[in-house]
Amino acid sequence: MAQRTPSGAVPGHRGRSASGTRLWTWLMLPGTLWMTGFLIASLILVATLALGTTDPLGNPRFGFNFDNIAAMADPAYRIVLLRSLGFALIACVVCLIVAYPVAYTIALHGGRFKNLLIAAIVVPFFANYLVRMYGWSVVLSDGGPVLKALRAVGLADAHTKILQSGVGVIAGLVYGFIVFMIIPLFAALERMDLSLIEAGRDLYGGPLRTFFFVTLPATRQGAAAGAVLVFLPAIGDFVSAQLMGGPDQIMIGNLIQDKFFQGQNWPLGSALTMLMMAVLFIGMLGYLRRTRKDEAEAAR
Amino acid sequence: MTLRTPHRRHRRGTDRRPRVALTVTTLFFLLLYLPIAVVVLFSFNGQKSLTVFKGFSLRWYTAFFHDNVLIESLGMSLRVSLVAMAGSVILGVALALGLVRCRTRLGSLAGLIMLVPLITPEIVTGVAAMLLFKGMDITLSSGTVMLAEITFSISYVTVILRSRIAALNPEVEEAAMDLGATRWQALRLVTLPALLPSILASAVLVFALVFDDFVLAYFTTGVDPQPLSVRIYSAIRFGVQPTINAVGTLMLIGSIGLIGLALAIPRLFGRRGGLDLLSGK
Repeated sequence: MAQRTPSGAVPGHRGRSASGTRLWTWLMLPGTLWMTGFLIASLILVATLALGTTDPLGNPRFGFNFDNIAAMADPAYRIVLLRSLGFALIACVVCLIVAYPVAYTIALHGGRFKNLLIAAIVVPFFANYLVRMYGWSVVLSDGGPVLKALRAVGLADAHTKILQSGVGVIAGLVYGFIVFMIIPLFAALERMDLSLIEAGRDLYGGPLRTFFFVTLPATRQGAAAGAVLVFLPAIGDFVSAQLMGGPDQIMIGNLIQDKFFQGQNWPLGSALTMLMMAVLFIGMLGYLRRTRKDEAEAAR
Repeated sequence: MTLRTPHRRHRRGTDRRPRVALTVTTLFFLLLYLPIAVVVLFSFNGQKSLTVFKGFSLRWYTAFFHDNVLIESLGMSLRVSLVAMAGSVILGVALALGLVRCRTRLGSLAGLIMLVPLITPEIVTGVAAMLLFKGMDITLSSGTVMLAEITFSISYVTVILRSRIAALNPEVEEAAMDLGATRWQALRLVTLPALLPSILASAVLVFALVFDDFVLAYFTTGVDPQPLSVRIYSAIRFGVQPTINAVGTLMLIGSIGLIGLALAIPRLFGRRGGLDLLSGK
């Protein structure tokens, strides 16, 4: 605001904006203190308890003990972590493959129905997650419409099942979070300069070549943002694996839930939570470096 | 259109409907609504089955309204959502105003803290909140769910309001002050009324999100009563529960209505400035 008023011309303004800064600080303070007290403090608590132990009664004890961290090397945990990573990554890829044509169709061919169609995607997403997942598990169940249709066209036999398998878990994650992929892709496609596509055609690129060399690179930031937005909730999800998977498909979220509710080993649960956060943190760093590079290239 | 210049043919490139993309989109919409349709349809089923529809009946709705545990949970969810809405809107609007206008180091730190819930998986915030309450020896109850939900919802309110505040013309506020208003009066009489549609829209959104939230509620709730979504979770883990179809249908109607309302608020006010669900985040 300071640069809007010529300095010195309106001397009263400077005093006002100083008192203004104080007012804005006071406005900001309650929310910030609340979030620090409840969120930041509690996250620090999780990190600290990961170094704790349990007493013989199973109560958590703070301490300075690396057993829980060392336990993370246990192959059993490594398998679950790798599986969670795998499921979340595959879910990201499936989301991208499904969401791209959807976003493309709506953004470039939606016409006056564009906003209506996007609203038709966003609105059910706000319906209760459990109810949607439950409905999805019914749809994918053995007697459900999807398997019936697949069997009818010969893509599945009587033994094929979707639930109780990794496919079911991934299907759950995709159904749960695909909207996070569609929205940034739609935004990127809408922002894209359509004359680029025409230029591609004018240079005698076929539709596929134009798509892979013009449209896709022009929207890759939307895709990257979508991948992060899908990956984050997908890796922590425990409902999908519970409703759609079997005991062989549990994800790290199920382990954490188990340690806090059934196993009553909170320090170990905290360590698992920190392990998941560490993996996410590494992923986020990679994403940030990638977008920085993209931005630097765009600026050049 | 019979005579096509080469130029025209090139231009048609972007207008041609891509058949693969169209097929995928149609299939996507079908699969998007199929689960919802199944829940709604079988909530009217006369039988306990989820695959065979036999006779229209309202028995599962009657069962829901006679189920004291579920009704109690519904009441708790409504209370939690109302309190979380009020708390997070008050804190979030103030925070957003401060964040946009205050360009100090504290401001950028607050901006970072505000983003934390958006980049942390909900299970982590849930576990963390549960540990905090247990660590402070607070018995888990509807109160702890409210505290946790407020913490989480502040970010939504702030994100929505922040862009609206940044889009406001600060000169209007300055003009009010030139006419003798104090900064506080200018904020109350000029800025807040201009933000009202966005504030209302974010309030409705928070209400819907908190009412439907499961993960945070699951980790921070006590035993009795439990929020409706936590009850649904325990019910669907143990096999077919047709009552859940009825509850689910009512919740679907509720949240879809609320989201529709949140999207319609800017139009009701006859101007832009409510929820921009369609532009990115």
